[in-house]
Amino acid sequence: MRDTGVRKTYVEDIDRSIYDVKDKVNASFQVEKGLTAKIVNEIAIKKNDPEWMRLFRLKSLQVYNRLPMPSWGPSLDGLDMEQIITYIRPDTRMSAKWTEVPDDIKNTFERLGIPKAERDYLSGVGAQYDSEVVYHNLREEVSRQGVIYTDMESAIHDPVYGPMVKKHFMKLVPPEDHKFVALHGAVWSGGSFVYVPPGVNVEVPLQSYFRLNAPGAGQFEHTLIIVGAGASLHFIEGCSAPKYNVANLHAGCVELYVGENAHLRYSTVENWSKNMYNLNTKRALVEKGASMEWVSGSFGSHVSYLYPMSILKGEKARMEFTGITFAGKGQSLDTGMKVVHAAPYTYSNISTKSISKDGGNCTYRSSVKILPDAHDCKSSVSCESLMLDDRSRSDTIPVTDIQNDNVDIGHEAKIGRISDDAIFYLMSRGLSEEDAKAMIVTGFAEPIAKELPMEYAVEMNNLIRLEMEGSIG
Amino acid sequence: MNTTFQKINSLPVSTWGWLGVNGTDVPAEIPEIVPCKKENKIVRVPDSVKLFSGVLPVPELETALGTDAADFVQDHWNCGITAVVPAGTRPEQPIFLSYHMDESNPAIVDRNTLVAEEGSEVTVVMSYLSKEGVSGFHSGLTRLFAGKNAVIHLVQVQLLGDTCVNFDNIGAVTQENGAVDIVQVEFGAKSSYAGCKTRLLGKGSRMDYNTIYFGDQDRSLDMNVVAEHAGQKTNSEISASGALLDESSKIFRGTIDFLRGAKQAVGHESEYSLLFSPKVRSRTAPLILCGEENVEGQHAATTGKIDENKLFYLMSRGLDELAAKKLVIEAQFRPATEKIPDDALRRAVSEFVEKRLNKIESLSQ
Repeated sequence: MRDTGVRKTYVEDIDRSIYDVKDKVNASFQVEKGLTAKIVNEIAIKKNDPEWMRLFRLKSLQVYNRLPMPSWGPSLDGLDMEQIITYIRPDTRMSAKWTEVPDDIKNTFERLGIPKAERDYLSGVGAQYDSEVVYHNLREEVSRQGVIYTDMESAIHDPVYGPMVKKHFMKLVPPEDHKFVALHGAVWSGGSFVYVPPGVNVEVPLQSYFRLNAPGAGQFEHTLIIVGAGASLHFIEGCSAPKYNVANLHAGCVELYVGENAHLRYSTVENWSKNMYNLNTKRALVEKGASMEWVSGSFGSHVSYLYPMSILKGEKARMEFTGITFAGKGQSLDTGMKVVHAAPYTYSNISTKSISKDGGNCTYRSSVKILPDAHDCKSSVSCESLMLDDRSRSDTIPVTDIQNDNVDIGHEAKIGRISDDAIFYLMSRGLSEEDAKAMIVTGFAEPIAKELPMEYAVEMNNLIRLEMEGSIG
Repeated sequence: MNTTFQKINSLPVSTWGWLGVNGTDVPAEIPEIVPCKKENKIVRVPDSVKLFSGVLPVPELETALGTDAADFVQDHWNCGITAVVPAGTRPEQPIFLSYHMDESNPAIVDRNTLVAEEGSEVTVVMSYLSKEGVSGFHSGLTRLFAGKNAVIHLVQVQLLGDTCVNFDNIGAVTQENGAVDIVQVEFGAKSSYAGCKTRLLGKGSRMDYNTIYFGDQDRSLDMNVVAEHAGQKTNSEISASGALLDESSKIFRGTIDFLRGAKQAVGHESEYSLLFSPKVRSRTAPLILCGEENVEGQHAATTGKIDENKLFYLMSRGLDELAAKKLVIEAQFRPATEKIPDDALRRAVSEFVEKRLNKIESLSQ
C-alpha cells in the first residue's frame, strides 16, 4: 500500500438548513418529564385507549423497569429518561386536507417536500408531528381497492380493524425484547396502520413522515403493516427533527406481516438531528413464498441502534437488505440487520456500506441465524466500510449461527480508505485527482443510492457531494 | 477442585447476548494437579536454546482466553518451559514438548514462555495426548515474545480423548519486523477452548495464524483469535478451516483490530467450514475493528455442505462417496498439517482423524 501524503478528500455534511427550522412548540397537551405509572396512565386516558391497551402499557412499563440497559453498543450516558417528555400532542386534530393543518406545521412539511411528493408520486401520506399524526390521506382509487392506510389511533378504535390491531400489536416485537421496546409499549403514540387485502397490488408507494419538533421530547410511533397473501406494497418512512442542545429520543416500533407470496418493500431514510438518540425496532414476519425488501439510509442522530429483523417463517420466503450509514462528527451509528431462517428453502441477501468521517463512528452489527429445520437455505452478506480520516472509527461485528448442514452461507467484509491505486488508474485515464476521488466515493454509495426513492437519492447525492482540497502529487 | 473460569474467550467488543458469542463462564471439575512425571512428558530442547528455571522478567501480555484462565495457569502450573533463543541463532531442530495424560497424571497445566531475541528463528512443537477413558484436564498458557527480526513458529496439536477438557491460551507480541507463525490443530477433547491473541507492536511485524478443527459426536469447540495491529505496516493472516459432524458444535471468533496509528497495516481473515450433519451447530463472529484510516482489512467466510461438483468429480474417478468425503476433509486440513515438522506427530494427526472418520456413519448417507 502506498502512502501518497496528499491532503484528505473532504466530504461535506448534509445541508441541514431545511431540517433545522424550529417551530414554536404549540402543544394542546403534554405530560410531565420522566416515566412513571401516572404518566403512562395519563397517556392512555388522553388517547382514549381501550382497557386492554391501558393494561398493556402498564405491563410494558414494568418490563421496562425490570430490563437492564444494553451492555453493548454506543454509550447512552447522555440519555436521561427523567428529562424526556414522552407525550406531546400538537394543537390540532388529524386531517385529510393540508389546508386544515395549522400553518406552522404545514409549512414545515412543505419545506420537507411532503405535500409535493404526495401530489407527484405517492398513493398516500401520513405526517406525524411530535406525538400525533396531523395529516393522513389515501388516494381514492387505492382506497377503493380495499387498502386501509390510517393512523394507529383511528385503527385501534375501528370496529373492523380494531380487532386486527389487537391481534397483531406488539406480538412480533414483544415488550420483553429489550428495554427500549418495553418503553415503546408503555408510551407509544402515533404511527400508521396499513392493511393491503389479499391479491391487491398497490402500485405507487405510501409514505409516512415523522417530525419531532419539541426539544427534550420523545417520539414513539407504532407502524403496523399487514400485507395480505399475494399482495404487494412499497412503504416509505422518513424522519427528521431540528437540532436542540438537549437529548431527544426516538423509540419507534415497526411490525410488518408479509402474507404468503406477498411482497413488501420498506424504505427508510433517517435524518434525525444530532442530539437524537434513535433506538428504533423494526421486524418483519415473512410467510411462505413472500419477499421482504429493506432499504435503509441512516444519516442523522447522535446515537443510533437500528437493526431491522426479518423472520423467514414460510418455505421459500426471501429477504433482501440494502443499507447505507454515514457517520460524521459526534455521531455513533450502530446499524445492521438480523435475519432468522426458520423454514426450508429460504433466502437472504444483505448488502451494506458505511462511511465514517470527521470523528464519526460507524458500527455494522448483524446476525444471520439458520434454525435446525431450515434446510436448503442460502444467505449472502457483504459489508464494506470506508474510512475518510484517522479520527473516525468503523467496526464490523457480524455473527452467523448455523444449526443444520444443508445450507450455503457466505459472508464477506472489507474495510479501508479510498484506494490510491484506483485514484492512480482513474487519473491515468485523464481524470483530475478531485474528480477521481469524487467518482470513487459516489461509486461506493451508488448501489445503495439507486435503491432509494427518487427524492432521497437526490438527497443522498447532495450528501456525498465532494469538495476536493487535495493537491496533486 | 471445582472452579468456574470467568469470561472465557471474550469478544473484544460485545454484541447481542442471545447469540452466545460474547464469551462464557465455564465451570470445570479439575482432578488433583500433581507434579508432572517423566513418563507423562517429552521435552526436547536444542542446545542453543537457553532454559530458565526461575522467573524470566517479561512484560504482561494479554491472552485470548482471558485473565482468569491465564491466572489459573500462573497459580497451578505443573509443567512447561521458559526459554530464550539467543540473538541471531536459528536452531535446526524444533523445541519439542509433548504431554500425555493418564490415570496417575490426569491434569496437565503447562506454562510456557518463549523469548526469541533479535534475528533468531525457532520452531516449537507442542502436543497434548491422553490415554483412552481418562477424564483429563488440560490448561495451557503459552507466551511468545518475538524480538526484532525474530521469527517464532508454533505448532500446537491437541488430540485429547473424548473424556477430556482442554484450555489452550496463547498470547504473543512482536517487535519490529518480528513474526509469529502459529498453527493450532484442535481435533480432540470433549470440550475445548482455544485462543490466541497477538499484539503486533513493532513496525512491519506479522502474524500468521492457521487453525484446523474437527468436531464429531457431541463435542464442542470454542475459539477466539485476535490480531491487534498497533504498529505501522503490520500484517495479519488468520485462517480457520474445519469440519463438523454428528452433533458437534463450534464457535469461531476472529478479530482484526486496527488501532489508531497502525498506518498501512493489512489484515486478512478467512474461514471455511464444512458441515456434515443436520444436527451440527456452527457459529462464527468475524470482527474487524478499525480506528485507523490507512489500513486494509478483509474477511470472508463460507459455511455449508461439501461441494457436490467436487464430490462428483472424485466419484467419477472411482472413489466411493465415503472415500471421496474423507479425501475432501483431509485435503482441507492439509495446508495446516503440512506445517507440522515432526513426521510421527503428523502421522498421529492423520491417524486420529482417520480413526474418527471411520466411526461416523453419517458420512456415507
